[in-house]
Amino acid sequence: MAHENSPGGVGNLVTLDGDSIRNATSGMDLAQRIEGRLAYATDQRDLSGLLYGAILRSACAHALITRVDISKALEMPGVHAVIKANDVPGLNCFGIVIRDQPVFCDERVRYEGDAIAAVAADTPEQARAALDAIEVDYQPLPVVSDAALAEQQTALHNSHEKHGGSNLLARETLECGDLDDAFSRCAVIVEHHYQTPRQMHAFMETEGGVAIPDGKGGVLFRVGCQSGHRDAEQLADILGVAHEQVTVESTVTGGAFGGKDELTVQPAAGLLALKTGRPVMIHLDRFESCRTGMKRHPVSVKMTTGCDAEGRLLAHKAEAILDTGAYASLGPAVLENYLDHATAPLYRIEAYRVSGRLVYTNNGVCGAFRGFGGNQATFAVESQLDELAHGLGIEPAALRRINLRSPGDAGSRNQTVRWTAPPAGVLAAAVASPLWSRPDTDTGRWLTGTGMAMGAQGNGLGDGLPDSGGGRISLSPAGRICVEFGFSDYGQNIVESIIRSVCNGVGCREADVEVLLGSSRGPDSGPTSASRSTVLVHGVLASILPRWMDVVRGHASRVSGHPEEGLAFGPGGVFFNGRQVLSYRELAESASPDEMAASASQDFPVAPDSGQPVGRYLQLQIATVARVAVDRLTGRVRVTDLHHVTAAGRVIYPPGYLGQIEGAAVMGQGMALTEDMTTRDGSYLADNLDQYLIPTFHDAPLQRVDVLDDTPEDDPFPVRGVGELGIEAVAPAITAAIEAATGVRVRRLPVDPGDLLVAMAAKEQTL
Amino acid sequence: MEPVNNEVTERQAVRVMRPESPRQAVSFAKRFRAPYIAGGTWLQPSCERDRQWPVHLVALNPDWPGFRGIQETEDGLSIGALTTLDELARHPLTALYLPPLSGLINRVAGPGVRHLGTVGGNLLAGGDLSALALALGTEVDVVEGKGSNRRPLARWFQDRPASDLLRSVTVPDCRGWGVSVEKLGYRERFSPTRATVACVHAGLQVQLAVCGEGGPGRLMVTEAMLRDEGIRELTDLAIVVDSELETLGWHDTRLRLAVRRMLESGLMEVTRGA
Amino acid sequence: MSDHYQVPETPAQENISFELNGEAVTRSAPSGETLLDILRESGQITSARAGCRVGRCGACQVLLDGRAVPSCLVMAWQLPGHHVETVEGLNKDPDFLSVRDALASESALQCGYCTPGFAVSLVAGIRQRRQGSTVDLTESVAGNLCRCTGYGGLRRAIDQLSAPGYPDEADGQGASLSEEQ
Repeated sequence: MAHENSPGGVGNLVTLDGDSIRNATSGMDLAQRIEGRLAYATDQRDLSGLLYGAILRSACAHALITRVDISKALEMPGVHAVIKANDVPGLNCFGIVIRDQPVFCDERVRYEGDAIAAVAADTPEQARAALDAIEVDYQPLPVVSDAALAEQQTALHNSHEKHGGSNLLARETLECGDLDDAFSRCAVIVEHHYQTPRQMHAFMETEGGVAIPDGKGGVLFRVGCQSGHRDAEQLADILGVAHEQVTVESTVTGGAFGGKDELTVQPAAGLLALKTGRPVMIHLDRFESCRTGMKRHPVSVKMTTGCDAEGRLLAHKAEAILDTGAYASLGPAVLENYLDHATAPLYRIEAYRVSGRLVYTNNGVCGAFRGFGGNQATFAVESQLDELAHGLGIEPAALRRINLRSPGDAGSRNQTVRWTAPPAGVLAAAVASPLWSRPDTDTGRWLTGTGMAMGAQGNGLGDGLPDSGGGRISLSPAGRICVEFGFSDYGQNIVESIIRSVCNGVGCREADVEVLLGSSRGPDSGPTSASRSTVLVHGVLASILPRWMDVVRGHASRVSGHPEEGLAFGPGGVFFNGRQVLSYRELAESASPDEMAASASQDFPVAPDSGQPVGRYLQLQIATVARVAVDRLTGRVRVTDLHHVTAAGRVIYPPGYLGQIEGAAVMGQGMALTEDMTTRDGSYLADNLDQYLIPTFHDAPLQRVDVLDDTPEDDPFPVRGVGELGIEAVAPAITAAIEAATGVRVRRLPVDPGDLLVAMAAKEQTL
Repeated sequence: MEPVNNEVTERQAVRVMRPESPRQAVSFAKRFRAPYIAGGTWLQPSCERDRQWPVHLVALNPDWPGFRGIQETEDGLSIGALTTLDELARHPLTALYLPPLSGLINRVAGPGVRHLGTVGGNLLAGGDLSALALALGTEVDVVEGKGSNRRPLARWFQDRPASDLLRSVTVPDCRGWGVSVEKLGYRERFSPTRATVACVHAGLQVQLAVCGEGGPGRLMVTEAMLRDEGIRELTDLAIVVDSELETLGWHDTRLRLAVRRMLESGLMEVTRGA
Repeated sequence: MSDHYQVPETPAQENISFELNGEAVTRSAPSGETLLDILRESGQITSARAGCRVGRCGACQVLLDGRAVPSCLVMAWQLPGHHVETVEGLNKDPDFLSVRDALASESALQCGYCTPGFAVSLVAGIRQRRQGSTVDLTESVAGNLCRCTGYGGLRRAIDQLSAPGYPDEADGQGASLSEEQ
């Protein structure tokens, strides 16, 4: 790691570079992954009697169903079962927040991904052929396609009393101070509209897995997912069986990013497995994944922000509309996080009122996606700050410096917050980025420019949602220190991070540790989302490792005859006077596994304030400096460099930290430049990766990730989750850089090169 | 044009006919109204998307004489239609005749697709090569029912029976010409073309062509204006190019602006020093 | 007029003989079946994975006569006489081992679903380079998509593989932010 003195003398600034990665990488399962030997959820074909399932999707974005006839499909070759709504023994609906999405629609379809029936057959081709033989009659309904007009149109869920027969699913306002008074004292006020796209997760492994009946009415699911325990509950309700009869093992998953947080293929696979008594694999192809899968909520917002003549932020107002699509999924929680971030949590503002409306439309379904509404809000907030700085004639960084909160300040929701570095230090490090020192060239074909933006991000589900998680540690019969959590592993380096924590805590070596994740039979750790896993893993381990070591040490003392005080844990076993007296294996053989186990559960850390907690207690920060080159001929934008300064506590596993920031940043770049699942009359206009274009190697910029770590020695939560931090400030940094290069401010994402070119041409005319 | 065969099937039921000769291929294509398949990199994605496959495919054989490989002829450079994009990119004669292609080729499809996809397939799909081929005044050698026949690519594009079988294309001897080609995609690599623009300074005259979202076409009107009035008056050029592009089917005004600028830049490049 | 040709019997299913990881194999498959499905249905090959089925993601990349191609775009009828290699067959290949070690040491993967495809593309690139090609290794992965890493680790791994004389004299220097042209 390259150490530097950070500008302004704040804290320990460390650059995560190649050396810090190479020295730290745990080769444990990497070779297996590279050699393709790891079995993903959709690789499980060697199950005896395996059938292939397929799901019939709606042909209409919005329609009444007047008839579903499966009789011909039942006669098709290779078909073992065809099921529809009346074959669902339990609840014919699911949804993390509100169970408003049918497993199979029987009266009405609300988007083109809605499921109507499902087939299990000997081969995927036979299953698909049988789908074609199912007859469905539709009576089309007007399509609700414009979120801004949705509340005036036919309600999608008129049976839901909760929504009062309107497409308004949720509305929420956060406010503080006297907004009118604050605006009246502003010297500069800027008001703009911002729009962000319906981004797709585009995980490389599409949704899929197997449901395996246990022959006693229960089902085991091995499907790519993010929350085994919660899925098991929902699935038991759908299958109409006791919760204990459903087991979810979230196997190795090829990416999720929030897109596998909701149930995907599980309901249909489980029902078919029970109906046929055989294991059923469903693996959506990319076309079906695009059509049915979750997306990021598109947000359209009008923001009005004002400051006094010295640049102090006084007043801030936002009115946002979020398009949640046909079903709620995690929409209400996304709205809350959007608004939380729309309050501009890094900055002191005298008064604000941010409000949002979450509406149903027939435009697919939106749900959890890395950033979870926060990065959509940050794009608008940071753009507004640049506009204010421009209005005042000061540097954007100067305006931020005036308004950044200091350690010890409350958060924007007046909650206690815990930072790991002063925001001014993060800003100072970003201002010192070498990217600024490169000249902005304005001759020739490529116009270059540098811009920056900041972002705050909290860990945890927030706003008083039930949020706890547990873990367990034991000594396996083979002598491995076995650590179990309920989290899923979809490549976010959680395994390596756990191994590292255990090695540090116990003093053992990597090979002594075994990590078991994602079984609903194991400890309930809560969902793998909201950047909460790392915090909980560290918290739980901090609590159980000492207890577990006490237990094992006591046992070792009895077995070896050495006094407890002199026994120490080390590589491979327990040591006395520097000599190994018992291997972990010998220890394991001397007792039953349960004798040497410890488990704990803890609530996710929330602000120790009185009353209902609001906002997020554990806060992270990022400043992203972007450098772009804009093609004067075409308006095409290339991001050449991204430099991130992060403050997110201690770095436990450098490759994981770096990879999370880099990966999230390029995902944010995709959202800023190319990615949008646009719809027309409720139909997606792209259906595969030749039309929906995510960044390639050559689109990805050079990146540098710095860590500003001023975490106090006594911080009880020194390790934070960084899975979402990297995406937070990328888009506004890119549009700031585009403005530096071209003089054009883009407020609608993804940046349309044609619009940008026209605006650039208009600027040239006026020069 | 013969009516397109409406009969479709699934992938597993497709019958792939392997004719012994180009003439037999044409015969099968006509009789079964079956499309030809070579690399299949364009046909397969579209059939996967629609879940509809032709009942018959007529497989083309790269070993048929003249169908694969690159050679110099007295008319210029002859390129077999079944030459893969990768073979084209790596061939020493390509470097000799078409140096700008080396800059473009990395932005044509992806490396895996370039190993499978063919020159003929790229041209017929209106891919990146079509702008360059049109601007160079490329001629096509086509096998028909009655025999074979040679004509300009531009003319063949306008009236092309589905059973016409492309054997090879001949690029005139363009060594010493100024040639520039530029692509605008959605991203840096492996993007469908939004607009690919080719400018050729062939001795005395300038030849221009485009392909992409508005379809492939040679800009004859613009070329005529340049021939008559020279290229110094770029404001006039802008108006002519814009209206010609619109006539060709380029309806997005913003994209036309980009094409215009790419053309202007290409013109400057190929006429520099001329 | 041209129907004087005898139309051969054209079944939809045929016996396809090709070489897989050095061994001759024969499979009965529909002519239009993808190589990807032929490989996976055998149960022996899991490294080639369906990501898009339209040749646009690289997750199913294999070597066909030494060239990296998306196996979802190769049809059964095109296979006879050709040699297919997957990472299952490359696990003793020195080029593959260099690639594997570089990817692992630079932490160039997260979920790993796309990674065998990247490895195949890189092996092909290294082989080409050895045959005198000057093609940049980064171009060999231009058709592979990764959604997890942002390609940072891959960039570092490719730098390692591109070092002069690699693997013997690799200096492991990554590209720095300030070295952009």
